[in-house]
Amino acid sequence: MSKTIMIVDDSASLRQVVSIALTGAGYDVVEAFDGRDALTKLDGRKIHLVISDVNMPRLDGIGFVQEMKTVPAYKFTPVIMLTTESGDAKKRQGQEAGAKAWVVKPFQPQQMLNAVAKLVLP
Amino acid sequence: MNLERALQTFIEESRELLSAMEDALLALESAPGDGDAINAVFRAMHTIKGSAGLFGLDAIVEFTHVAESVMDRVRSDEIAVDESLIALMLRCRDHLVTLIDDLASGQQGEHAAVGAALVQALQALLGGGSNATVAVATENAAPQPEAGANATTGEGVGNDAWHISVRFAGNLLRNGYDPLSFVRYLATLSEILHVEPVTDALPPAQEMDPEECYLGFEIRLAAGPAQADIEAAFEFVQDDCSLLILPPHAPLTDYALLIATRPEADEQLGALLVSCGALTEAEVAQVLSAADATPELVVAATPAPAVAPAAAPAARQGREATTVKRSSSAIRVDASKLDQLIDLVGELVIAGASAEVMARRSRDRNLMEANSSVSQLVDAIRDSALRLRMVEIGETFNRFRRVVRDVSQELGKEIELTITGAETELDKSVVERIGDPLMHLVRNAMDHGIETAEVRVQQGKPAAGSLKLHAYHDSGSIVIEISDDGRGLDKERILAKAQERGLVAAGQTLSDQEIYGLIFQPGFSTAEQVTNLSGRGVGMDVVRRNIDALRGAIELDSRPGVGTTVSIRLPLTLAIIEGFLVGVGEAAYIIPLDSVVECIELDHGAIGQQNYLNLRGRVLPFLRLRELFHSRGQPARRQNVVVVRYAGQSAGLVVDRLMGEFQTVIKPLGRMFRHLRGFAGSTILGSGEVALILDVQDLIRTATERHCHAAEIAAECVETV
Repeated sequence: MSKTIMIVDDSASLRQVVSIALTGAGYDVVEAFDGRDALTKLDGRKIHLVISDVNMPRLDGIGFVQEMKTVPAYKFTPVIMLTTESGDAKKRQGQEAGAKAWVVKPFQPQQMLNAVAKLVLP
Repeated sequence: MNLERALQTFIEESRELLSAMEDALLALESAPGDGDAINAVFRAMHTIKGSAGLFGLDAIVEFTHVAESVMDRVRSDEIAVDESLIALMLRCRDHLVTLIDDLASGQQGEHAAVGAALVQALQALLGGGSNATVAVATENAAPQPEAGANATTGEGVGNDAWHISVRFAGNLLRNGYDPLSFVRYLATLSEILHVEPVTDALPPAQEMDPEECYLGFEIRLAAGPAQADIEAAFEFVQDDCSLLILPPHAPLTDYALLIATRPEADEQLGALLVSCGALTEAEVAQVLSAADATPELVVAATPAPAVAPAAAPAARQGREATTVKRSSSAIRVDASKLDQLIDLVGELVIAGASAEVMARRSRDRNLMEANSSVSQLVDAIRDSALRLRMVEIGETFNRFRRVVRDVSQELGKEIELTITGAETELDKSVVERIGDPLMHLVRNAMDHGIETAEVRVQQGKPAAGSLKLHAYHDSGSIVIEISDDGRGLDKERILAKAQERGLVAAGQTLSDQEIYGLIFQPGFSTAEQVTNLSGRGVGMDVVRRNIDALRGAIELDSRPGVGTTVSIRLPLTLAIIEGFLVGVGEAAYIIPLDSVVECIELDHGAIGQQNYLNLRGRVLPFLRLRELFHSRGQPARRQNVVVVRYAGQSAGLVVDRLMGEFQTVIKPLGRMFRHLRGFAGSTILGSGEVALILDVQDLIRTATERHCHAAEIAAECVETV
């Protein structure tokens, strides 16, 4: 059974590209357009990995991860945060929230696949 | 990977972001401290940069990166929001719009110079621009010595493979990581020759915390990958593990160090390394005997301290309070799909009408009952389908903030734009086509209407001119008003010009409204000086033609020295309307119900041959449709007058039969009938017959003209007598 990855980003094109790359590599993908949307999609389904942007409307990535970690079913779900270079303070905040893995934006699809493979192989 | 469609999404998304960015920048002009607006600008740059990188659009990435850095400094209050910053960011936005347009059209414009100049200006703000360039690839692979190249100062061990020793921190599982996933990833780099789990830290079962990780691994990995690649496998857990990587043929002292720093008993670990294949028993013995003299630590990798629990809830509340106001739970739908839906709903309405005719004919009460509830539902579906296409006019209005700002600077006039009724909704297809006429009117008002500051002050007006865009709904139409407080229209000059152009005969007396209407005539332009903005040959007649094409009307009201107001009246939708079905001769016609005021019986005796009647003390000109359309057959014994009203003017339409309300799906007339006056389109009746939809605006005009003409002749007769 293939592994399911959730991608949370307010950019539709980014989601689309990441989704194409991940699907091509054999993962199932769930998309969410911001933290709030992502929380509604954590409906008990098994998610093996969450990739989340930090800067999003309504509920940002860090707030989302904090919320997610309070849901028992997703307490142990690994998270890759997407960040820009300028996000050192954010990074610390994110790590406190339980997001240890970071990928710097902009990235190439292959870089994302590499990062994902370290945590979840298809 | 086929990214073509994703690229289209990127283009659309970027355009939306850039338009939001423009709105935010203009909002900052009046409220420089607006955190939401600053965030919106930042987010636009941030998101475009992130997505552009995925498509390898390096030029866009580099440009947005610099702009993003500036906005980030603005967010942290290191750079102040002032006019020059807003102007610069607006220019950056424009530059990005060009880049995106190029991308969309597949053309390669020459914008490098513009971009470079802007980057320079941005970097000046950043002060030097140390971090101003960014490569798309960020994994900076520092040159690592090739595997085995650094082997052995002193005696290297016999092991010709990498040796990886890893101990995970206790909270690894809680952070969501699976120790096994790293081992699996290593297997994608090279062949794993042996894995020896280290379970010494595992406590007795009753003391064990199932969420705690007690594991470690000793791994022998075949030579091949670089050290950096192996380290990268653990990059996400570098704080959560202690990692030692020894290259092939590493010096024995390194292994000694490994054994010494690991918490496990030396002998035990030595045995593990032997079974792993990293060391021979002889090598282990050598290490253990030398263990007394502990060497200095060279490769240090200490487990991270336990991670603090999640941040305080107070911080979270604060963040939620500042999250952006508008929910974006919208679905993006291809416009053609919506059009298709509206078309289908149109067909459904027609089919429903035909079913209703059948039901009525059958006189089957149950069938009629069932049919009536179906048609109620069809009505509801039609309304919601039409509402899908409704968009707020605010977005169109907001575009003018920028226009007004730029143009007023260009003209050296101070002009304030006030927008009201931005939430008024109208059909998207109308919105799309109203932009150009509005632009023309707004520019006209700024260029010709509003005076320069000196003149205004002389006349006792505030130095800053005021331009207002106002929208509201009025009986089935939307009205858009563009008003300025400028000098108003010069009636004398318009009249003189019209006479000069032969649009009006000399000596003809015209009402104010008629004089103002002249500027909509083709070939009329009063601008004595042709400026950059208006007077480029595209006159008000084009504006009127555009509005006419939308089945709308345009009206102008002006008071010298006080200002001018242009009102545009547009139908809410171009697809389906409520109609009033009337019969003339054998044919049926539709009058848009919104314009019908009342119906009265025509009193033949009192009217005779005249073409106006007395409606409660007011003169109402009317048209006999039977004559106008040259209908055959005998007129009905009792004819009716349908009183219609449009934009403040009324007229009567004399018809044979009144047939009641009818859901009208507007079908455009074919090209052959394009020049036909008096008709706005056609529709199909329940019986399958075609009915023409009357163009009320045009008919009212005709009726009024005829009436005036007749009145003039009458007046002349009186004079000659």
